[in-house]
Amino acid sequence: MTTTAVTVAPDGGPDPRVTDDRAPDHRGSWVPNGAMIATRFMELRRRRGLMAALILVNIGIPVVFLTVRLVAHAVAPHSYGPAGGYDLFTSMVAGVLFVFGFIVAATLGCTAGSVDLTEGMFRHLVVTGRSRLALYLARIPAGLAIIVPLVAVGFAFVCAVCVLAAPTQLEFQGVPVPVGLSQPAFETWAAGHPDEVICNFGFDIGPNSALLPVVNSVPCGGGNGPSIQKGGPGAPATSQVTQAQVEDAARQIARSNYADYARRFLSPSVSLMVKSGLWIELYAAIGFLVGLGLSSLMGQRTVPVILMIVLEIVLTPLLSHSPIAHLLNVQRSLVGIAVTHLEPGGLPSVFGNSQNGGPRVPGVTESTTVAICVIVGWIVVWTALGAWRMVTRDA
Amino acid sequence: MTTTAPPAPVPDADGQWAVETHGLTKRFKDNVAVDGVELLVPRGCAFGYLGPNGAGKTTLIRVLLGLTGADAGTMSLLGYEVPRHRDRALARMGAIVDEPRFHGHLTGRQNLQMLAAAREPAARARIGPSLERVGMAQRADDKVSKYSMGMRQRLGVAACLLGDPQLLILDEPMNGLDPGGMLEMREMIGSLVAEGRTVVLSSHLLDEVERTCDAVAIVDRGKVIRQGPIADLLAGAAFELQVDCATPERAAALLGGTAWAAGVHPGPDGLRVDLAAGTDREVVAEVNRLLVEGGVSVYRLQEVHASLESWFLEVTTRLGVDR
Repeated sequence: MTTTAVTVAPDGGPDPRVTDDRAPDHRGSWVPNGAMIATRFMELRRRRGLMAALILVNIGIPVVFLTVRLVAHAVAPHSYGPAGGYDLFTSMVAGVLFVFGFIVAATLGCTAGSVDLTEGMFRHLVVTGRSRLALYLARIPAGLAIIVPLVAVGFAFVCAVCVLAAPTQLEFQGVPVPVGLSQPAFETWAAGHPDEVICNFGFDIGPNSALLPVVNSVPCGGGNGPSIQKGGPGAPATSQVTQAQVEDAARQIARSNYADYARRFLSPSVSLMVKSGLWIELYAAIGFLVGLGLSSLMGQRTVPVILMIVLEIVLTPLLSHSPIAHLLNVQRSLVGIAVTHLEPGGLPSVFGNSQNGGPRVPGVTESTTVAICVIVGWIVVWTALGAWRMVTRDA
Repeated sequence: MTTTAPPAPVPDADGQWAVETHGLTKRFKDNVAVDGVELLVPRGCAFGYLGPNGAGKTTLIRVLLGLTGADAGTMSLLGYEVPRHRDRALARMGAIVDEPRFHGHLTGRQNLQMLAAAREPAARARIGPSLERVGMAQRADDKVSKYSMGMRQRLGVAACLLGDPQLLILDEPMNGLDPGGMLEMREMIGSLVAEGRTVVLSSHLLDEVERTCDAVAIVDRGKVIRQGPIADLLAGAAFELQVDCATPERAAALLGGTAWAAGVHPGPDGLRVDLAAGTDREVVAEVNRLLVEGGVSVYRLQEVHASLESWFLEVTTRLGVDR
């Protein structure tokens, strides 16, 4: 190699025409500043197509579903039940908002984690000298500032409809029942409505039970008790049954149904709504952070989005249905199962299964400590992986 | 009472060189993209970094900026040792690497806001002036997806100016510019240099580099093979003498036997005499004397020095033969 001496160099010192009195601005710090977060928020929010899709899935689906129910109930109230109510709330939260909130958040996270790279902005940002870790971490509050309100709006709409359009009277097993009764009050009410209780409430008595002649004495016109055994060979004469015995039988049947009744409300309580809201926000935040880390790690958006959707609607339901002896710890390590462990009481288990027609219960059980560790682990590991790749990646 | 040792002092931005590398090497598996580069870019000048496609120009820039790591060697930018003090160096720099790409769904101004947010607070106040300076103020609020390549180049330069840089590194800044845009870019680079800033630009447009830059480095196969002021480099190149005369064949016979004529090429209107690099100017007078004394009527003598382009081709062609 031939190197010719350079002679156009100035005298060597800093050129006085260029001022450089700037103070150190800590741009090597890993902490993002407010402006970085604000501009990242702007960058994500102005993706109109993405925002429209997220709003459509997370808000549009509940809005359309509940609006149709509202209209149907308004047009034909006898054919279509109320649009709101407690049961609908629990179904919407556990069945729709929980799952779609996660998918929406994961999609946004995957976008936030990859677009700088795919759109060529990453190297511009790196050349500013700002810490790459700070560039990564700025995406977290910016993305959460979008996803948390988005999930909250969808949830608030569901809450509003479920409360405002709740039925005015509770129907328990086809019988209008006052809401919020204590067990003694429920039994007292049952004693006052023995025929309705005996003919409609579910109960199971053996052929030799003392209750059998009593319930057989009540003339039911097609009651829907599931296991009621009325009449039959050898049934005692109904003329021997007194009104007091009938009322006592109704009390006993009511007592056996109280646990199920106690879970029925006209509309969700404020406490349940708050807990449910925080719960789906937690899951959405996890979805965002995992999506962010995964897409940053992979350097693209499409495949991570697909993987997140597969995790949510295929893998987690598949592995959560029932315990598998050799895979129990793998099942417990799924973040979806861990989060459902923190599900507020009163909601059916998202990924559980139903037994004897009752509410769904978790198929895989784990302690609260394990569930929290799994959740924290997912957040920390995926965030660390995404940040590590961002720091070490060629720009 | 305990005392804490003060942190090691960080060298301030001084020193003769804006960019200084020693033995800088970057490999991609078996391919050595940057091969022991010794580069010295003086402060306050426009410096061209030239080389054929695949010579390693962009890779060297990426290594300097920390976009990818070096495998060996040392480097400093504006006197700051990097990568140790890269954040301090980059705070005083601006750069475009490859084609400038931005978020297409944002406007030019919004893209600059994102970049300014990552810089010091004062950078936000420079967005407007930067856009003004590159002639993008009128289109700053249009989406970047609607920009032409030339407009993106200008926006890239505006992004470089956000940090009030002492050193700008521009990778092919003339790409996509129309002749008017190239002229404006050349003038802008000149004005930046006039302000005392250093501009390093890589380009394959040798003519533009010759007009824009004070010094150049030629890179080939990852190695810097020549560097220095353009005038000095071309002074070391061969040149030719155009001779308009009445009898070119006779003139060729007279000059063909001389020691200093590397080649004599007669034509219908005269002849061309190749002179070796470093030939004394007195040779021109000697040519005239020989021809006149030999009975050849001489109408005109003209020295034709090599352009950067011809010199570049000469250098790279010789290298090609050596391979």
